[in-house]
Amino acid sequence: MRQTLRLLREFLRACFVEEVEYRLNFIGHLLTTGLQLALAVFMANIFFFRADSVGGWSFYEVLLLLGVFNAIHGFIEMVLQPNMSRLVQHIRKGTLDYVLLKPVDSQLFVSFRHMVFWKIADIVLGLGLVVFALVQMGAWPTWQAIVSFFVLFSAALCLVYAIWMMLMTLSFWAVKVDNLSYLFMSFFDTARFPVSVYKGFLRLALMYLFPVGLITTLPASALTKGVSVWQLLVAGVLALAFVALTRLLWRLALRSYTSASS
Amino acid sequence: MIEVRGLQKVYKVHEREAGFWSSVRSLFDRKFRDVYAVDDVSFSIAPGEIVGFLGPNGAGKTTTMKVLTGLLHPTAGEVQVGGFVPHKHERAFKRRISLVMGQKSQLIWDVPASETFLVNKVIYEIDDAAYRRQLDELIELLQIAEVMQKPVRQLSLGERMKCELAASLLHKPDLLFLDEPTIGLDVNMQEVVREFIRRYNRLHKATILLTSHYMADVAALCQRVMVINRGKLLYDGEISELIERHAPYKRLKLWFDGGREALELLESTLLSCGDSGLKVIAQTEHHVELEVARQHISTVSARLLQTLAVADLTIEDPSLEDVISQAFAAGVQP
Repeated sequence: MRQTLRLLREFLRACFVEEVEYRLNFIGHLLTTGLQLALAVFMANIFFFRADSVGGWSFYEVLLLLGVFNAIHGFIEMVLQPNMSRLVQHIRKGTLDYVLLKPVDSQLFVSFRHMVFWKIADIVLGLGLVVFALVQMGAWPTWQAIVSFFVLFSAALCLVYAIWMMLMTLSFWAVKVDNLSYLFMSFFDTARFPVSVYKGFLRLALMYLFPVGLITTLPASALTKGVSVWQLLVAGVLALAFVALTRLLWRLALRSYTSASS
Repeated sequence: MIEVRGLQKVYKVHEREAGFWSSVRSLFDRKFRDVYAVDDVSFSIAPGEIVGFLGPNGAGKTTTMKVLTGLLHPTAGEVQVGGFVPHKHERAFKRRISLVMGQKSQLIWDVPASETFLVNKVIYEIDDAAYRRQLDELIELLQIAEVMQKPVRQLSLGERMKCELAASLLHKPDLLFLDEPTIGLDVNMQEVVREFIRRYNRLHKATILLTSHYMADVAALCQRVMVINRGKLLYDGEISELIERHAPYKRLKLWFDGGREALELLESTLLSCGDSGLKVIAQTEHHVELEVARQHISTVSARLLQTLAVADLTIEDPSLEDVISQAFAAGVQP
């Protein structure tokens, strides 16, 4: 465990060093994130121009959810996306051999070796928006609510990681999976709004089939409408199960890789 | 140190003809063919030995290396490396080996190589003092003090290869697999890399298995070679014996003062040497190149020196390239 933390710290350090090489990139990125967030808030404003609530959520509640969305989006772009493209490269160019020869957990390595450090701004800005929305609502959450928020938020991160990791692992068989990441992102975009906005089949699908609802709506609910212990439990178990599943799939993929490639 | 018994590796290769319809057909009806990349190979390598692994492209060299490092599961046979079974992927095993591939890079592209070194330091859990010591040694052996501070993308191929070696050896592996470590390098840099391998072997008593397209690498570094072709081990033994067995002749080059007389003399002398396995490779007015069986080389050269006004005479072993291609042509048995 200590070695894992040390590795993660080292990966983060190496990526920081790598990116300092391109300073301008950072400023450009900060501007992009700021603009995107402003645009999202503006969009929310439009939705609330004539209505007091959308799908039962007030303006500041939706803002809070937008904050959660932005933070998770930041996590995807900071950690998941850069590693996905590397894994595809590793497999196509055969440099995965170097990863497999290292005395470290190979799944840990391919999942977290490359991070885009500046995207941490997305996470900070997103959480900032959550705090801002809370302040505007004037109702400070109880400590139970805060704890459930962090549990659900972590579960959401695990879920996103697991879904993403499984898509990545598919590249062992399909080699090129870049398009799958676009598919994921367009699904994920539906998480900008509470699930209750969607109707009928779509809502069911987003709740259970592709659990976008769990990813943003549930953590946001923890701070606004409140969640039940039952929901907490389901989210936690589901998250752990998904992560365990990635582990199995990764092993399977490695076995087929090591017995097939040349 | 390395024990291989009856190693076999079979790939299932999906076969189809070129063209649109056959590719559509292959979606539903796939034909597979077994390819024996390595077939019934056995050998053992002692600690501290440097062994050259020779063979044409696709002979099974890389496949064997990958089985020995645990990247591939053998289809059949037993493999033990340093007391470990490689494909069990034990960490203790991975800490003891290193694989350097001349055509693949592990360095981080946009930053100096020293950053990759630091990442590897944490990966291999090397403590500060040991890291410092090993790095200093590598810097000195490879002369990379300045090179390692430049972004990798700005390095020449030779400089990059040196850093590649350093990154792979920080954890002081005593089992080294080098797959074409000098590929694409100029003669000077090849020599530097070769010298480095030799010193590393001596300094750390490392066992080294080396593949290369350049015979010079193998001739300079290894006493023992293994020749593999189409997955079969054709030869395993001393380089000198390989040469003796598959090139039982030497090359004799002779320069002499020309003229018709001289040429006639040469001809009659060669005739008088009779059945000494003599073959004329090339001839001009002042120069002749002969292949002569080893046991007759001294008599033939003595007779030539007696009869002709010789300006210069050299006797050489055939190049290793020639020997190997002869060996393949003959389909040698170990």
